[in-house]
Amino acid sequence: MADQKKTDPDVKFCEILSPSELFAARSRSHKIPVRGQKDFFPSDSDEQRQRLEQSLNEHWSLISEERVERLGNLVKATWIPSEEIVELQSPAGKFWQTMGFSARGKQYLLPEEALYLMECGNLQVFYKDLPLPIQDGYERFLTSNTIGLQQYQVFGHLKRLGYVVHRFDPSSEPSPYSRQLNLPQSRDRAGRQLKRKRSTSPSPSSSYIKAKESTTDRMEEESHEGEDRKHPEPHLTASPEASEVQTATTSSADEDGGRTWWMTDDLGESSQSLTSGSSCWDFSSIHFPDLGSSECHSSCLACPDPSLLPGALGVGVCDLAPWRQRINLRKVKMSPKEHKRDEDNWNINKDKEVRQCRNWAEYQQLMARRQGRRKGRPAHLWNREVTPLHDPTQPVPTGELLDKISVIKSSNLLEGASRLEGSDDWRICFNVYQPDTVADFKKSNPGKPYSRMCVCSFEGPVPDLRVIKLLAFQSGDIPVVFAVVDHGDISFYTFKDFQLPTDVYP
Amino acid sequence: QIWTRLPPKTKFSLKHSSDSSCENTRVTQEEDWSSSPVVGVGLCDSAPLLWRVQDLRTVRSRGLVGALLGSLARTPRQNGRLGRPLLLLPEEERLLSECHALTCRSPGELTSRSAGAELTQQVEQYEEEQQRSYEEQSVLALEDRKSALLRAMTSSHTDEALRGRLEAFDQDFTLPRSALAVQLSTARAGLTYCSEARAFLQANWPIRARNDRHSDVKYQVFRDLRGRGFYLTSAGKFGGDFLVYPGDPLRFHAHFIAICQSLDQPVCLLDVLTVARLGSNVKKTVLLCSPGTDGEVVYTSLQWSGMV
Repeated sequence: MADQKKTDPDVKFCEILSPSELFAARSRSHKIPVRGQKDFFPSDSDEQRQRLEQSLNEHWSLISEERVERLGNLVKATWIPSEEIVELQSPAGKFWQTMGFSARGKQYLLPEEALYLMECGNLQVFYKDLPLPIQDGYERFLTSNTIGLQQYQVFGHLKRLGYVVHRFDPSSEPSPYSRQLNLPQSRDRAGRQLKRKRSTSPSPSSSYIKAKESTTDRMEEESHEGEDRKHPEPHLTASPEASEVQTATTSSADEDGGRTWWMTDDLGESSQSLTSGSSCWDFSSIHFPDLGSSECHSSCLACPDPSLLPGALGVGVCDLAPWRQRINLRKVKMSPKEHKRDEDNWNINKDKEVRQCRNWAEYQQLMARRQGRRKGRPAHLWNREVTPLHDPTQPVPTGELLDKISVIKSSNLLEGASRLEGSDDWRICFNVYQPDTVADFKKSNPGKPYSRMCVCSFEGPVPDLRVIKLLAFQSGDIPVVFAVVDHGDISFYTFKDFQLPTDVYP
Repeated sequence: QIWTRLPPKTKFSLKHSSDSSCENTRVTQEEDWSSSPVVGVGLCDSAPLLWRVQDLRTVRSRGLVGALLGSLARTPRQNGRLGRPLLLLPEEERLLSECHALTCRSPGELTSRSAGAELTQQVEQYEEEQQRSYEEQSVLALEDRKSALLRAMTSSHTDEALRGRLEAFDQDFTLPRSALAVQLSTARAGLTYCSEARAFLQANWPIRARNDRHSDVKYQVFRDLRGRGFYLTSAGKFGGDFLVYPGDPLRFHAHFIAICQSLDQPVCLLDVLTVARLGSNVKKTVLLCSPGTDGEVVYTSLQWSGMV
């Protein structure tokens, strides 16, 4: 350094300060001169020229100022080029709360952190026992392997504003799958949604609740669809009514048998069908003896068909008398009302259509059909595969109804993002934590970042929907901000999910 | 309905840059450059950065503004005013390199310098210098203390007591090592200060290929506007290519937003309206700049105006 100074006496080498200058610099001002109002047009007036000169002088004195620090205030460190990190040689300062990391019993700083601290006058980095000037810091620390100049510009800008900025490490993020399994935050959100949905539902009928639940389920599925790799089936099932109708139609398809489960006293048939070995119980042929009825006069049951019994098992005639003592043979006394209901039941049993139903589902369907016919739900619209979107007999709030009949569902940023291929052109660079958290910030447990930064330039392309989806998916529920660098200027942009508000109140 | 909200009249004024006075100023400036000192550029992540104050001054005196990137030494933790290094726009870099006014040194050359015996010598020298600085600063600090004492004790104490105190200072005072003021250099010392080496490297500035057409168009526009005495900065935040200042940006507001477009490139009317609207909102005039075939640049200014 100094030898060049000597060999080149004609070139003024003013940027290395003499000891007296260094000493004098201890008491220099830390104020920045205020910039006055700008003029609109150069007028060549002396006054204007003077002002320009003054501004330029202030400018150059600010720019040319060199950093001078007390040795005791400087943390010493060395640059390790092979690992592209900076190792601290003396105890770290206050910055250690938010920067640096420990490994192998030593304290290290990442290159961008070291460079920022150098610029702040907190750190002196040595390489080969010589202190590195800031210029060397820029040229050595900022490479494509570590962090580029543009990334550093963003880093420095945010640091100067007081934010805590850490490199984003995609591997330390929970994978989509683990996020799916253990979702403290987003699960909570879904749960809250569910709760809110429920509480707003006014005096729900049972079918209404069912519909509600299935829609909230679906919403939950949608909000986690990002993590949904394991579910190839899209959860866009039609309305629950439709699926109900579907099961009904399939069961009515094999109605051709026309069997009923009201028994006939035909034992022979029963043994026949039992020996056929069908796995289903044919209740039409299974006879249960009515021991209590007064019409039952025989005192014993006939012995069962030996062909139904295993091997050499012999079962004799069953005497009913002890059994009859054990059961209550008193006749049930019925009120007239009960009597009437009983009669109704009786009537239902006499109903031919009802008698043709083989199970409860069919019976309920029949009842629904009958009710529908009464309430203007024409059967021909409802008993096919394609049914109206909404059943007018179901009470539903307007908002719900609008949602139901909307043909194009609104999408969100994360929808389908998990199925996209990764891209190398865009990556998240930094986790950013807000300045007000600095006081109790822990590097080991930084908590949820305030936002994540992706650095790009005005010269490059605008991120497309694919990129935005990918980054949003990678970032989870933390917003991704695009820091766009235009030479010295940095602007921040973010793309947000937006749901069109519906001005409908139920 | 939409059209009523559009400008009733958009005025286009065409102006050609064929007047000879402008040409002349450009030529004289180029002559100036050839005689001016060469600027030392450091490449950081392939971006051209200037470090030495002298180089920054040289470039500014040529009307090139650049962009400051670093923390300001005086108050580092703010973004209002930044300090060295200065980033050159690609157009500025190209303009300087075409005038052979750039030289560059990569950090790789530096490592070769710092090798073996020479390195140990340098380390020794550094330590020696620091020791010398310590001694000098100790003397200065002692003087400082003494004068402070003198100021404080003139009235209340006798001369003897004062003399005794001063002598005690002379004997006992040691500047703690930690109070030593040291410099954290901004620019690297080295070859950039050696004029012969500069001359040798002068022609060696790598013309970094920027083959795309748009950057060519931008460069021609930049060169022309600079030749006319305007100061230019990048205009990303205004949706254009350059902000055009009538004088030094320290003292003047930008008047124009320059948008560079080659002559044969069709322009969408909506884009024109967008930029014109933006320009009027920030009280600047939008300039559509297209280099012609004969090396001249055609400027079209857009202005909102109501129909009277």
